[in-house]
Amino acid sequence: MSECILQAENLSKHWGGLKALNEFNIKFYDKSLHSIVGPNGAGKSTMLNILCGTYPATKGVILYRGENITGLKSHQFCRKGIGRSFQKTNIFKDATCLENCCIAAQQRVGSSFNMFKSKHSSKHVTAIAEDALEQVGLLKQANTKASAISYGEQRQLEIAMVLATDPQVLLLDEPMAGMGHEESLIIIDLLKSLKKRYCIVLVEHDMDAVFELSDLMTVMVDGQHLITDVVDNIRANPLVQEAYLGNDDEVF
Amino acid sequence: MEMSLFLVQLLNGIQYGLLLFLVASGLTLVFGVMGILNLAHGSMYMIGAYLVYYFAAMTDSFWLAVVIACSIAMVIGVIIERFLIVHLYKRDHLDQVLLTVGLIFIFNAAQSFIWGNDPLGVDVPELLSSSIQITDIVEYPVYRLFLSVLCVGIAIGMYYVINNTKLGMMIRAGESNREMVENLGVNIGTLFTVVFAVGVTLSALAGIVSAPVVSLVPGMGERVLISCFVVVVIGGMGSIKGAFVAALLVGIVDTFASVLLPGMSSMTIYLLMALILIFKPQGLFKS
Amino acid sequence: MSVFSSKAEKVFIFAFFFIALGIPLFFNENTFYVNKISTMLILSIFVMSLDYLVGRTGLITLGHAMFYGLGGYLFAIMIPEYEVVNFWLYTFYVMAASGVIALIVGFIVLRTSGIYMIMITLALAQMTFYFFADSTEYGGLDGLFIYLKPETSIFGLNFLDLDNENHFYYLCLLSLFNCYVFCKVSLHSRFGRVIDAIKENPERATALGYNIFHFRLVSYVLSSSLAAYAGYLFSLQYGFVNPTMMSWEVSASALVMAILGGLGTIFGAILGVFVYESLHYGIEHMTQYWMFWMGSLIILMVLLLKSGIAGLIEQLVGGKRK
Repeated sequence: MSECILQAENLSKHWGGLKALNEFNIKFYDKSLHSIVGPNGAGKSTMLNILCGTYPATKGVILYRGENITGLKSHQFCRKGIGRSFQKTNIFKDATCLENCCIAAQQRVGSSFNMFKSKHSSKHVTAIAEDALEQVGLLKQANTKASAISYGEQRQLEIAMVLATDPQVLLLDEPMAGMGHEESLIIIDLLKSLKKRYCIVLVEHDMDAVFELSDLMTVMVDGQHLITDVVDNIRANPLVQEAYLGNDDEVF
Repeated sequence: MEMSLFLVQLLNGIQYGLLLFLVASGLTLVFGVMGILNLAHGSMYMIGAYLVYYFAAMTDSFWLAVVIACSIAMVIGVIIERFLIVHLYKRDHLDQVLLTVGLIFIFNAAQSFIWGNDPLGVDVPELLSSSIQITDIVEYPVYRLFLSVLCVGIAIGMYYVINNTKLGMMIRAGESNREMVENLGVNIGTLFTVVFAVGVTLSALAGIVSAPVVSLVPGMGERVLISCFVVVVIGGMGSIKGAFVAALLVGIVDTFASVLLPGMSSMTIYLLMALILIFKPQGLFKS
Repeated sequence: MSVFSSKAEKVFIFAFFFIALGIPLFFNENTFYVNKISTMLILSIFVMSLDYLVGRTGLITLGHAMFYGLGGYLFAIMIPEYEVVNFWLYTFYVMAASGVIALIVGFIVLRTSGIYMIMITLALAQMTFYFFADSTEYGGLDGLFIYLKPETSIFGLNFLDLDNENHFYYLCLLSLFNCYVFCKVSLHSRFGRVIDAIKENPERATALGYNIFHFRLVSYVLSSSLAAYAGYLFSLQYGFVNPTMMSWEVSASALVMAILGGLGTIFGAILGVFVYESLHYGIEHMTQYWMFWMGSLIILMVLLLKSGIAGLIEQLVGGKRK
């Protein structure tokens, strides 16, 4: 197994009396895709939101390459190299696809407080943005307004924006949500190529995709860690069948 | 400061705070249920005061004037909601600000057109015009005590309505989830009209009952509105409990500041607000 | 890529500055109108700075007049009595001092957003209003007088006489032009890119690694300094400052002007000011209850004219380029 990049120790999140996440331990490895599954309300999204700094954890620590990053502000997680995509499409709809990625790329290149040079003057920013669009196959739409492309393409743009921030870890929150079969296949191909280079954490309901893509899988129920293992073992595990899939067989 | 004087100031502070609560509770109720920031809320305070002046002179009875003024205020509230505010529910904050600023302009013009710009006063009703002797030289007017009791009564009434009645249930549901209320089969349009009318009537009522203890001048509505903002910001927007605590706090601090720090009395409550914001950006009681 | 975001803007800006250059020649000896238009130019700077904040940064304030008034007060307080000071030096002082104040105020105000920010900016502006209105030291409601106008020599060259109405007019016009150019350039820059992104989607901008608080704060400080500069010019024109300059009505009308002109268009600020002020002037001549008509107009505008006059012109002149 390759190097462990991101790690959570005893991570907990309480909403008032509700324990959305309880004493969670997990490790994510470089150049692999680790998916997190579980029934609705199991705390998957909560965990993702804590791992990218949107919510502060109630207890526990997050280690990034051995460094404790628990107390950092939300925007600093991205700067460390933890990029995230959103469950609900969250892009700059008034801007072109290229501009969407430029906004992301500029953060990495810097000098965002420069008020006198045109935003189009940096070839470097544009190059990164175009590269990100090319990776997800959207380069042909570069100059189309983000609101004008199809829903599936918006989901691809969502990922392209994360790529443009030069992340080490990609936290993807249901990238295939609401997609048709054809569109899902595009994302699956994309993730297959991306996992050769990044550490990807995937929360997804499309089980076919999850089994096809995952190197490791974690099943969680009620904010608790149930099991983490390779795909084949998860499939065969009776505990998983009972706790999570018992009432919902058809996902297999 | 002498004990008796301190007591009088404290009573004044509480009375002012309770009046502020009356205004602020209407503002926060309308915001909490409907998501509308009504900048013309202070204008209703002013209109209430001028209406009671007008009808008290006409009917020779303060109490009758109170009833008439309240009814008119409620009708104004219904009209504004039905014809103007109803267009704002799907718009952003800026449109709310603009439309209600437009209303302030209209109310101010109406006030200056009908009653002129000279300060006016309303007599304290005879029934309550006496004073209570606290010490040999310090006395406290009964009317002010009446004001405090009335406001506390209304506060208790609101608490009861919100926690124990069907309307209260709808208000609470509206505050947490507007769509849910609609799914419950409640006619949201009617609910909004009622809440808005009640909200502005609370503000008008504050103006009405305080008319005998303040002078009626142009711009009085805006002054109250701003103090009200301070209350709501400190208490937490949308929280009636927060409005109550913050209104008392602001009333007492403001009253004592004008005695103890005459040079900067008008700034004290704003400094208090800034201080609280630094530590609690969402106010003391986040709803 | 053109600096203008639409054809309408290009046409308007060229036409406006071309006509504006000729105004003093046109009115020749009639300084009344030249003065009136100078004031509108100053107001345009103020409204433009507000549009920068509200229309482009997405921060709604009802307390912008606080900085407008502060610009005048800071100048009146800083100048030594009975001494002619240098205009450019004090421009720098006034803008720097108001910038520092904006930094502190912004630090408090920007911790909140939306409806809270509207209320807090209004409350803080009123606090400043009462501070000056109640102070004996700063003249109370009468304010402070500026007896001597500054001189404008720069490196020993002096080609502007502020006592001359026409000279002052051109100073205002130049200031407005500079302000417009600054707003356009900075909004077209890398900084502007982030500002636009934050306005449209603050959540996403944060997720992309931007500290949105810093960007908003910088924008707030810039906008406030520009507003202070406008107030400083206003106090020079009339030779006094008083608390009315920072009353909430000034903030509210400025907001109305910005929206009337077309929020976020920057050039719309000029349009908004000239239309609003002409209406104000016209209605006031007919009736003393102009506020009634103004109020009705504002309400109609909210209900019917969503993208302002600039939007209307853009529809007429043709497609937006952006």
